[in-house]
Amino acid sequence: MMPAHEFKLSHFQAMVIFALLISIAFGFLSRRGAYQRARYILWSFILFLIIGVGIGWAMYPFSH
Amino acid sequence: MSDEIPIAESTTAVHVAPSPPPYSATAQDRHRRDALALTIAAAAWFLPGLGHALLKMWGRALVCFSTAALLVILGAGMRGNIFSRNGEDAFAKLGYIADLGAGSFYFVAQALETNGPDVSHANGDYGTRLLATAGVLNMLAALHAYEVARARKA
Repeated sequence: MMPAHEFKLSHFQAMVIFALLISIAFGFLSRRGAYQRARYILWSFILFLIIGVGIGWAMYPFSH
Repeated sequence: MSDEIPIAESTTAVHVAPSPPPYSATAQDRHRRDALALTIAAAAWFLPGLGHALLKMWGRALVCFSTAALLVILGAGMRGNIFSRNGEDAFAKLGYIADLGAGSFYFVAQALETNGPDVSHANGDYGTRLLATAGVLNMLAALHAYEVARARKA
């Protein structure tokens, strides 16, 4: 079986997809009700991105 | 003297009562529920989302299935490393446990990745992480289904 696609993603794209999928899964597993879930998913997704970009900037001086 | 009368009455009442102790039925139910919970956890591990589907939690079942499927498709498409049983070091062994957490999707990932892994680029490295995430997430979902089946969680 051949893979349908070979994906080439940038760092940021990979992080955004990862954050989105995990936030949705966590939101559905840990919360009940559409409003609570949507709030949790949005909050978790934003935190994933902020912390990911923050860690990236914190490591920036070591790469130069 | 007044204290002896109630004790004698209560002792007689206990001997006369023929019914079995009330906790036997509860213990039997508990054993049955534990066995069912273990079966549901095994089903949830084998096919992501199946455990929640058996519990009629359709939204969670759909999300568990599609999230694990997307992570596996992306991870295999990015040519991530799928760890095998013959890991050389502790990290490879841990990676195998994480990958195996995806249940049947572990073999789907192997079937999808016909060109083999390529971790010489960052893309392949991200793919490895996505495959491991699919496994760990599925183990978490299986644990959640187990807890729900044991009525410890809503």
